[in-house]
Amino acid sequence: MAPQDRLTLDRVTAPADDALLRVEGLSVSYGDNQVVTDVSFGLRRGGSLALIGESGSGKSTIARAVLRLLPEGTGRARGLVEFDGQDVLSLSERRFRSLRGRRIGFVPQDPSTSLNPVRTVGSQAREAAALLDEPGGHRELVLETFAQVGLDDPRRVYDSYPHQLSGGMLQRVLIGLTVLPRPALIVADEPTSALDVTIQKRILDLLSDLRRDLDISLLLITHDLAIAAERADTLVVLKDGVVQESGGTASVFSSPSSEYARKLHADVPALNPDRYRHLRERPAGGTGERPKIEVGGVTKSFTVDGRALVAVDDVSFTVEAGTTHALVGESGSGKTTTIRLLLGLEEPDRGTITVAGEEVTGRSHAELRSIRRHLQLVYQNPFTSLDPTWTVKRLVGESLDRFRVGTRRERADRVREALDSVGLGENLLSRKPGALSGGQRQRVALARSLVLRPDVIVLDEPTSALDVSVQAGIVEVLLSLQAELGLTYVFVSHDLALVRQLAHTVSVMHRGRIVESGAVATVFDDPRRPYTRALVDSIPVGAGTVSGGVS
Amino acid sequence: MSVSALSRARPVIRRGQASRFPPTVVASFAVLALVLLWSLVPTLFTGQDPARGVPADKFLGPSTAHWFGTDHLGRDLFARVVHGTASSVTSALVAVGIGVLVGGLIGLIAGFVGGWVDAVLARLVDVLLAIPSFLLAVVVVSSLGFETINAAIATGVSAVGVFARVMRSEVLKTRRAVFVEASYLQGGSRWHILVRHVLPNASRSVLMLAVLQFGLSILIIAGLAFLGYGDPPPASDWGLLISIGKDYPLAQWLVYAPALVTIATVLSVNRISRWLRKTD
Amino acid sequence: MNRDYARYALRRVLQAIVVILLAYVFTFVVISVLPGDPVTNTLRNPQNGFTEEEIARIVSYYGLDRPVYEQLWDSLSRLLVGDLGISLRSGLPVGRLIGDVLGSTLLLAGSALVVALVLAFAIGFGTRYLPKRYGQGLLRAFPSLFLSVPNFVIGLVLINVFAFQLGLFRVIDSEGGLATFFAAIALGIPVSAQVAEVLIANLDHEAGQEYASVARSRGLGQTGLFLRHLLKPSALPVVTVVALTVGELLGGAVITEQIFGRTGIGSLVERSVTTQDLPVLQAVVTLAAVIFVVVNLVADLAYPLLDPRVRLGGAKPRDKAEVAR
Repeated sequence: MAPQDRLTLDRVTAPADDALLRVEGLSVSYGDNQVVTDVSFGLRRGGSLALIGESGSGKSTIARAVLRLLPEGTGRARGLVEFDGQDVLSLSERRFRSLRGRRIGFVPQDPSTSLNPVRTVGSQAREAAALLDEPGGHRELVLETFAQVGLDDPRRVYDSYPHQLSGGMLQRVLIGLTVLPRPALIVADEPTSALDVTIQKRILDLLSDLRRDLDISLLLITHDLAIAAERADTLVVLKDGVVQESGGTASVFSSPSSEYARKLHADVPALNPDRYRHLRERPAGGTGERPKIEVGGVTKSFTVDGRALVAVDDVSFTVEAGTTHALVGESGSGKTTTIRLLLGLEEPDRGTITVAGEEVTGRSHAELRSIRRHLQLVYQNPFTSLDPTWTVKRLVGESLDRFRVGTRRERADRVREALDSVGLGENLLSRKPGALSGGQRQRVALARSLVLRPDVIVLDEPTSALDVSVQAGIVEVLLSLQAELGLTYVFVSHDLALVRQLAHTVSVMHRGRIVESGAVATVFDDPRRPYTRALVDSIPVGAGTVSGGVS
Repeated sequence: MSVSALSRARPVIRRGQASRFPPTVVASFAVLALVLLWSLVPTLFTGQDPARGVPADKFLGPSTAHWFGTDHLGRDLFARVVHGTASSVTSALVAVGIGVLVGGLIGLIAGFVGGWVDAVLARLVDVLLAIPSFLLAVVVVSSLGFETINAAIATGVSAVGVFARVMRSEVLKTRRAVFVEASYLQGGSRWHILVRHVLPNASRSVLMLAVLQFGLSILIIAGLAFLGYGDPPPASDWGLLISIGKDYPLAQWLVYAPALVTIATVLSVNRISRWLRKTD
Repeated sequence: MNRDYARYALRRVLQAIVVILLAYVFTFVVISVLPGDPVTNTLRNPQNGFTEEEIARIVSYYGLDRPVYEQLWDSLSRLLVGDLGISLRSGLPVGRLIGDVLGSTLLLAGSALVVALVLAFAIGFGTRYLPKRYGQGLLRAFPSLFLSVPNFVIGLVLINVFAFQLGLFRVIDSEGGLATFFAAIALGIPVSAQVAEVLIANLDHEAGQEYASVARSRGLGQTGLFLRHLLKPSALPVVTVVALTVGELLGGAVITEQIFGRTGIGSLVERSVTTQDLPVLQAVVTLAAVIFVVVNLVADLAYPLLDPRVRLGGAKPRDKAEVAR
């Protein structure tokens, strides 16, 4: 597809023989299933290249093929992978081992599973250092490296087990172990997607700094177009294992030529903050009615290991009817507990919650049940929120059956109607969740929450488990429904760019408290608290100032 | 951009249809089908009377006339094995049935009701698990009397603990599942959630355990029969046949023929159980 | 951690004591409540040759003329002072009968456990080290095969080959080393299957974990990966499995001892079952439960100390959400 020379065309200073990594006609299959087809790209010495794609695009498989870490027996790679003039795929395992680790380093996706859980960090780091065959002083070398990657207390990290450290710290450890032998190339497979947003930026900055200081080339695997554009000078866009487009960041990012790259660009929230403006517009000024949701001074603490832990601390906010209020924060900020209180799944220690004029707190089970007819929840993960033994028809119709709404035929009609409103056809009615894609599942979950025609829907990170293009579809459905039915949303997210795209008002949560709130534009354009500013700054915006969406 | 254009269904079944039934699984089902037929219509497979001996023909080795040879009374061993199948297999089914019903119920109640009910039932299950199952079966059968049906009941009692534990942990796991909370938010009552969500999801692993336990029960009941705690001769349970055969070391087929039949049956059951676990 | 551990240990010890007492009661109930009156039947059986006075002594000792719950209470009280009762067959104290044969059974069960572990780890190593296609595939079938063979068949085959044909040991009155070794193989093979299954599954699981790929990406070879990374997390859960197989070893001894002509707990059980000697059965069952409970208690208490992944203490807030009210 994309010929090799296209990548190097706009790099006049880089002659072709300066390529550190050259991949040509690479195809990878697992058993009979071919996941990567005829992929070619090149990475010059000291350069950085990003492989971009959604799940199933084969981007991680390519990384593993380069490192020769494909699953034994099933994974098979064909084609040419040339590192520093050596054909990686045809080397013997023994010869290749001298490259792996020393010349090519690997930074994995999820740091919490990437260190052996039953050994201390130090013992594993020492093992990595010992593999370099450099005499003595492994411990000192490791501690020095830990300090270099910004770990505050290297000795404590050294003596800890992996589960005792945070994800950000573990990723620093792993990056440290990767740069320890001063490799020529680092392959980073989604190095930040398992981390909180503010930490993501710091880890990416660390990688960039190390790359510059130590003159290391970077092969970055990511699903995030904005991150890729920020951190790499060459982009390769993949879909279903085939290269869609490749070239210098400036050209691919600002004037994509392939349809897929254009769509991908349009679907990234950070790059298109105003994409849904037409669906979001409200008559200016308040309607004068009572807010749909009023949360006042709510506090909730849990007892963990005999200690009281305040999960939600004096939280108050209101949501006007027909608008979207976003709760934003990193993991552990108390946003999930807040919505559980809102739904009456937990009782607050103090404070009141009113939905559509009805008090949620202090209600009996039966009273809560009637309130919930107007108050629905869509869960974060559609893979766990749908009973795998039920069909779509039963799943969506469950609440109608429970509340005995209408006749059997009316119920069936409303199920169909709800599925239709989220863009799913009748052909899925008899399927079980296992036979649906992630996006379809989340649409089923959405249909389930719509079928009772509620006023308020609480959305708990409804798209965080999905690819951006799927996310864009769901967001569009959500906003159309809001415009059509006047629904009120409470939208929980850690993704500020997405919040900016679809919410009207926002509350920023940090350690159980609301640190800042107000209209989305105000909070984002002029953050008053340092924490909010850090969050806003961590939104990757890609190269240059590309604003405005692609219609 | 249209909404439906984005919802692209991914291929769900990765492997081809052909590889869903590996040859060993097919063979296992064939063995079990044969065993089932032996126990339902034994006369279809052998015309010989399992109880009638021809003294002149005693201790004949396996041949076309007597596939498994003959025993010390000149009885056809193949006929005895085939006619002993019904009792060997059905008693294992009875044992599994007791385990599934009693153990499943205990586990379901303990897991779903929780609180002190769970605490009490958990100790009872601990006791059942603490007594070695074969020893427990021996004690129960000695108390009930030496008959094959009692051996089956005893084996079932010894399996109650395992079923209760698996059912309880599955119920607890399912109860905490997000989709159960979702159903609660859809207005589902406690009973609705138990019957429609928890039970179907929890029973999956219990059924897989039942298959595995079926094979184990055949072995335990054969062991009890071997020790003489089942029906006495002229019954021809597989374990009993092996027990009798061991007294004639010069006629080794008397041990090996029923032993191979037992092994083939249990091996098939275990293979199917493993296959079920994998395809889940 | 330490306070949590102490609390956890205390709770587990108390549970263990409760379970042991309940096991004793349970056996009593099974024996007394189920239909039939085997005790009096046995005593009255002329073959056993008890005199009227002896019968009267035993009847009053067990309080057979009194209500069941009083008998249970007496029986429990005797247990607490270490009195296990009197054998209905021989009239000897049960404690002494068991004491005489316990050593032999523990030797057999211990040897069988060693055989099982050696075999299981050999299979585990093999599935990683042997040449791919044949060696591994064959070895992976072993546990399933071992689980499908009745242990008395294994015993009979071993006796047939090694005693009758090769004459390595004698079956009658044989307590020699070789005889014990072969008996241990017969008893240990089914147990090895369970251990090997868990070990293989764990090794496969750990090898597929991300940390294994990452360790390899740092240049670690297959051998180093196996020894330094895969072995420990795969072998730790085996501790729990081994503890659970104790019951298998004790229960299997009944058959193995019978086949190999050994005297031990198993043969004592076998004799007591045929003669309906219920006090002996009750004592043996309780003893087996005690051994099982103690071994598992030790394993459970040791596990958090061995495996840093296991953290004790309260549940996360999310777990406390009472869902189905």
